[in-house]
Amino acid sequence: MDIYLPIAEVSVNAPLLILLGAAVGFISGLFGIGGGFLMAPILIFMGIPPTVAVASQASHVVASSTSGVISYTAKKGVDYRMGGIMALGGAIGALGGVELFRLMRLLGQADLVVALSYLIFLGAIGGLMLKESLEAIIRRRKGLPAPRPQNRRPLWLYGLPWRMKFPRSGLYISAIPPLGLGVFAGVLSAIMGVGGGFILVPAMLYVLRMKANVVVGTSLFQIIITTAITTVLQSGRNQTVDIVLSSLLLFGGVVGAQYGARMSGKFRAEELRAVLGLLVLLVGIQMGLELFVRPAEMFVLAPGVD
Amino acid sequence: MFQDLPPEPPAVAAEAPPPQSLQTLTPVTRARVAAALTETTVDIDTGFAGASMVLYGAVFNPTDTPADVVVVVRGPDQPVRLVRKVRIAGLWLNSRPVVFEGAPGFYMTASTRPLSDIASFSVLRRLGVGVDHLSINAPDEETTVTRFGVRDVVINRLGEDYLDWRRAVIRLKEDAALYATDPDGVRFVDQGLFRAEVELPTEAPTGTYEAEVWLFQEGEAVSVSRMELTVDKVGVERAIYDFAHMRSWLYGIIAVVLAAFTGWAASAWFRRT
Repeated sequence: MDIYLPIAEVSVNAPLLILLGAAVGFISGLFGIGGGFLMAPILIFMGIPPTVAVASQASHVVASSTSGVISYTAKKGVDYRMGGIMALGGAIGALGGVELFRLMRLLGQADLVVALSYLIFLGAIGGLMLKESLEAIIRRRKGLPAPRPQNRRPLWLYGLPWRMKFPRSGLYISAIPPLGLGVFAGVLSAIMGVGGGFILVPAMLYVLRMKANVVVGTSLFQIIITTAITTVLQSGRNQTVDIVLSSLLLFGGVVGAQYGARMSGKFRAEELRAVLGLLVLLVGIQMGLELFVRPAEMFVLAPGVD
Repeated sequence: MFQDLPPEPPAVAAEAPPPQSLQTLTPVTRARVAAALTETTVDIDTGFAGASMVLYGAVFNPTDTPADVVVVVRGPDQPVRLVRKVRIAGLWLNSRPVVFEGAPGFYMTASTRPLSDIASFSVLRRLGVGVDHLSINAPDEETTVTRFGVRDVVINRLGEDYLDWRRAVIRLKEDAALYATDPDGVRFVDQGLFRAEVELPTEAPTGTYEAEVWLFQEGEAVSVSRMELTVDKVGVERAIYDFAHMRSWLYGIIAVVLAAFTGWAASAWFRRT
């Protein structure tokens, strides 16, 4: 059953999109991530204009993250104060990111920025995650004890002004690092159409050293706010949000996310991280590959400036 | 086929004067063409997956000279931004974008024979018939200089590559089925009656299209019939598109609220079951 998308102005197979939404939703529930980094490349591959794909899938991220946050709230797994400060940063970052993306489109360099961002961020995070989790798996197989967690946070976290108490996260640190993280995630959200969870979760774990049980819930909460703002900005500024496309994706997505969240309890954390790391790394390499391979067609239509 | 016909009596031809014809006032001893489309509006609705219609018409040819029919359908102009992949330090990057003006969003020709057999290069160029004769150019890249003492010589900053760029515009549009050339797309079904199929792909732009039917004799255009075709979004598609462009901020807020509500509803539903 093909359906014509009013904003993307292409015809797509509706059941296929719902299935895609469900599959990405499942992965997002399983790993506690937004799943945007997977969705955007697939949508672009299906022939949806990149600007529309990036803007429309943000609302899919809102939907699956909302259902995630609700279940984490029930488990007291969301630090709303920390998430709120990150979201404030996220709003600033998204505002700048949407303008940056607009400028890059005008210069014809949007493709380059998207490809480079995917290659650098996904490649680095995926590689680190894979290495760390494989080491943990090997240690467990050999029967070695887990290394003593390094509980020392970087000293500069304490040296900065505006210290705040974050009781849920067990922190008393400056508000500047979470704010900065939020800004960074906001910019990525506008450029790559992702929530930024894959950056935030490791940063919260290894840099801020928040309590592990609030990390995913807080990152999802921050993602909702940032992607919601991105969606409104993309719509208001660029008119690139296709509500038919995003509805199809999110109906499958919310159901998939619920099943994914249920399945996640059945696997070991480091195994999940190894699979996710591999997935992230592969997507990053795939997107970055176009920079190195000689293109078959030397001329490309640049998205219009309407 | 039709050239074997005896000359038609003037009264018959006068009964059906094509109102758009250039030759309305000329004597009926000249060959003429009249044509119509099976549809004059194409509605883009939720199920739209391209449209296919038939352009049909008749040739009145009282002369002994054989005539050729050329059908041209041209969509609204859309500026095209093109970039070229350039290799810099081992990486394939995009060049500066070049804007081409005058490129129609849709363009097709169908004819009884290849265009180059029907009329000469200069005739086709003057009439702008055929994908090679579209006036696609990049005005922003042009500058005027004084060369060899001649003032206001128009040169193009793209230099010798300019033709590559221009050809790429056409090639990319052809790949997207937006430009098409069919050298035997006009078929005679009966004496003097012809038909041609017009295929609009899903990506066809909305707006007013112009269809022209040219009649050529001995390499010269002797008659033309013009008609319009409107392609527009209707119903839900129209409503969503207008809403997204006129109340874009409210539209964005609604998209977010819808997403958050769906997420909440799904988690509420799954907690109960």
